[in-house]
Amino acid sequence: MKIGTPKEIFDGEARVAMTPDSARQLQKLGYDCAIESGAGAAAGFSDATYEEAGVEVLKTAAALWKASDIIAKVRQPDATELKRLTKDKTLISFFNPAGNEEGMEAAKSKGANVIAMEMVPRISRAQKMDALSSMANIAGYRAVIEAGNNFGRFFTGQVTAAGKVPPAKVLVVGAGVAGLAAIGTSTSLGAITLAFDVRPEVAEQVESMGAEFVYLDFEDEQQDGAATGGYASVQSDEFREAQLAKFRELAPEVDIVITTALIPNREAPELWTKDMVEMMKPGSVIVDLAAEKGGNCKLTVADKKIVTDNGVTIIGYTDFPSRMAAQSSTLYATNIRHMMTDLTPEKDGQINHDMEDDVIRGATVTHQGEITFPPPPPKVQAIAVQKKPEVKELTPEEKRAKEAAEFKAQTKSQVTLLAVGGVLTLLVGLIAPASFMQHFIVFVLAVFVGFQVIWGVAHSLHTPLMAVTNAISSIIILGALMQIGSGSFLVILLAGLSVFMAGINIFGGFLVTRRMLAMFQKS
Amino acid sequence: MEFGFTTAAYVVAAVLFILSLGGLSGQESAKRAVWYGIVGMGLAVFATLIGPGSGLWLLSLLLIAGGGAIGVYVAQRVQMTEMPQLVAAMHSLVGLAAVFVGFNAHFEIKNVAEVMAIVDSAKDADLSDLGAFAKLIAKKTGAELAILHVELFLGVFIGAITFTGSVVAYGKLAGKVTSAATKLPGGHMLNAGAAALSFICLIWYTSSGGFFPLFLMTLAALFIGYHLIMGIGGADMPVVVSMLNSYSGWAAAAIGFSLGNDLLIVVGALVGSSGAILSYIMCKAMNRHFVSVILGGFGGPQGEQMAVEGEQIAIEADGVAAALNDADSVIIIPGYGMAVAQAQQSVSELVRKLRAAGKNVRFAIHPVAGRLPGHMNVLLAEAKVPYDIVMEMDEINDDFPETDVAIVIGSNDIVNPAAQDDPNSPIAGMPVLECWKAKQVFVSKRGQGTGYSGIENPLFFKENTRMFYGDAKASLDKLLPMIE
Repeated sequence: MKIGTPKEIFDGEARVAMTPDSARQLQKLGYDCAIESGAGAAAGFSDATYEEAGVEVLKTAAALWKASDIIAKVRQPDATELKRLTKDKTLISFFNPAGNEEGMEAAKSKGANVIAMEMVPRISRAQKMDALSSMANIAGYRAVIEAGNNFGRFFTGQVTAAGKVPPAKVLVVGAGVAGLAAIGTSTSLGAITLAFDVRPEVAEQVESMGAEFVYLDFEDEQQDGAATGGYASVQSDEFREAQLAKFRELAPEVDIVITTALIPNREAPELWTKDMVEMMKPGSVIVDLAAEKGGNCKLTVADKKIVTDNGVTIIGYTDFPSRMAAQSSTLYATNIRHMMTDLTPEKDGQINHDMEDDVIRGATVTHQGEITFPPPPPKVQAIAVQKKPEVKELTPEEKRAKEAAEFKAQTKSQVTLLAVGGVLTLLVGLIAPASFMQHFIVFVLAVFVGFQVIWGVAHSLHTPLMAVTNAISSIIILGALMQIGSGSFLVILLAGLSVFMAGINIFGGFLVTRRMLAMFQKS
Repeated sequence: MEFGFTTAAYVVAAVLFILSLGGLSGQESAKRAVWYGIVGMGLAVFATLIGPGSGLWLLSLLLIAGGGAIGVYVAQRVQMTEMPQLVAAMHSLVGLAAVFVGFNAHFEIKNVAEVMAIVDSAKDADLSDLGAFAKLIAKKTGAELAILHVELFLGVFIGAITFTGSVVAYGKLAGKVTSAATKLPGGHMLNAGAAALSFICLIWYTSSGGFFPLFLMTLAALFIGYHLIMGIGGADMPVVVSMLNSYSGWAAAAIGFSLGNDLLIVVGALVGSSGAILSYIMCKAMNRHFVSVILGGFGGPQGEQMAVEGEQIAIEADGVAAALNDADSVIIIPGYGMAVAQAQQSVSELVRKLRAAGKNVRFAIHPVAGRLPGHMNVLLAEAKVPYDIVMEMDEINDDFPETDVAIVIGSNDIVNPAAQDDPNSPIAGMPVLECWKAKQVFVSKRGQGTGYSGIENPLFFKENTRMFYGDAKASLDKLLPMIE
């Protein structure tokens, strides 16, 4: 089969979906490659280099579309291009299926298969063909470069013979791929970089890139990014307010703001309001990577650079990847090539459009005359689920269940103890006379009371406790007193000695205890 | 009539004793609780004197007064640091008294038997010249007499163990006997043999009722008490003391059974369970089994102990003073060494000065610090350290990482990180105060050497530890003038 890449029609688009390098790889998969004459010129790839790589160069777009079974391109195809689709042709391209109903209808009516590059699911296996990420990476990098281009100072702080230069302060809003790329670029240029994201779990990534994560004073259940495929989702009003308040606080101090906040299939959320722009110092720069979707700053004009009345430059370019066409073409072409590898498991130059495969199924928007968008959720979870805090806050039900289980276990052990104790007591009762049992009851109850009472004694009072128990254990004096009246001399002697010793104990014990307790005092 | 009054008085006394123990749950209520105990005891003695114990009451009063005078004298004279010895000595008295009372009960039984043999039928008339206890015995049947024998036997047995055990414990605590764990050749086999002998004597005694088996058993029990406690090292003394306390209670309860006196039973059981719980708490604080404490000494190390690397770095008083003057938060960990050096007054003075400088000073007390449960608390209280800055281990252990200076005064095993780090250490798993997590640790210690248990302490070799050698009191007195 033949893979063909036409020249991009979109005005100003410099990228190309096939490079000489990627063409060589595709040929190894068994495909023939073709390219429209001049398609790679804007990205720095001449027709000659393609020919060198064994790519057939066709003069016109029409010829190319006609000759190719598989069309790989960058931008969403326009009406003319869609008309060139025929049955059994496969188109691989950005397609914007969510906002391109007519395009899908047209492709469906033609019976062509369309693979939309932005629909590649975000799972580890598909990262090699994730064109959104590779383009976002470039956009993030380029955003910082554009900002620097329009910023009148150094990024890094310097102390020179000609005076001291403070470092630039950069705020990156949204720590997705573009945001992280921007953070990396900004920190490596030497700026103090702050970053914010609605997903607190990316704080670690932000910090690993050398930026400082801006935390909000906001107590709420933050959404787990993993549940939404790694993308941010819509936030509550209170959260938004806390976020804007934080930005207002930061606005006067930052020199460069790079906003990258995009919510899939929605208008970009307004994060950098007009009053924040007014608070910024003259000469500051805002780069709005969400300009295409209306911008995170409402003053942004898409594809334009404007300067506000207070001297703040707002850059609303939407073609950052295209501005680095050589780099972005290389990456995009590689993404396409990986997609083809997955489509050609046999390496025989034939497409095996396997709709059971998560990645291929997810990216396919029309297949054999049917619209297959939106795809079912991928079977494999998008990214690692956010680590749960170690001590989990139990819900009331769980707590109750746990308490009930504990109570059950406690009851069980208590009942066992009671049963064993009860049986033993009964056994004793079988052989012992009643008079003994009367005393025995008293004894058991007293032990019980003792256990209950002593647990409550304060730790610091253990020594007084010992002194008191020592004093009252001389209750043995009662026994001696009862015996002292007996006739036998020996008995009187021993009993007398006992009374004497117990007497020492009673007075000594209580007095010492009182002495100790009198010493305890509060500060 | 009289006896009804006595029983009523006993009930009141029992309630008062329970309240007295329960009142020890707080420092303030404890002061009231002691009075409950005193009144209860007074009531019990009074009721016995006018009731069943009225024979020779004058002699009894005189003896009590004499004993009381000695008790008062000792209680007023004793140093707070000598408290463990005093408690142990008092336990021995209770133990000995229990032995004597047990013997007496035996003699009475014989007397009654003889009298009964002479006059067979008319009991009350002929028994009137015998004591109250004898009258009670006279009413007993054969089975009851057998049980009486067992009870009495147990009372004497436990009492005898308590007696010699307490004497040895007293000797160890007072430094008159070596505190190291020593055993006669034969070790626990001797104890087991003595116990077996006692058991044989029990069977012999119940069948014959003669004095000789009782006497033989007493000797055996005295030996057990001596040998058992000799085999327990100084570091385990808190457990030993509370265990003996428990024994003295059980002895009283056993005697109470044989005398048929419910108050004795109640109080004996209260004291017995109280001592048992205290022993349990102490054992738990050392992460050791009660049995292994009782069987004496630390078991030999299960494997190669971690070698300690580094050296102990000494520091002088001015260095400690400088660190203390810079610190905002200080935790002091006192141990037995503070008691030995009588340094609690100096510690108190240091605390007063530091607190006056606005620093947060607290004490961390390990449950087994010292030689008696709660020993450190009593010493600090004596030195007028407010009890609300004296914290238990669980309350304060998490605060060490935020603490600038930790001062260890005369404690060793309770601050040994090996308990957590070295699974082969004899004290592995014992909860310890994590003072090494403080920014800086000063250890006041007499010299390089191991503690009672003879275990090397890696704390002394840590980078943030400085050794402040010398007698604790002398060191602190040197330090005091340098604190601003």
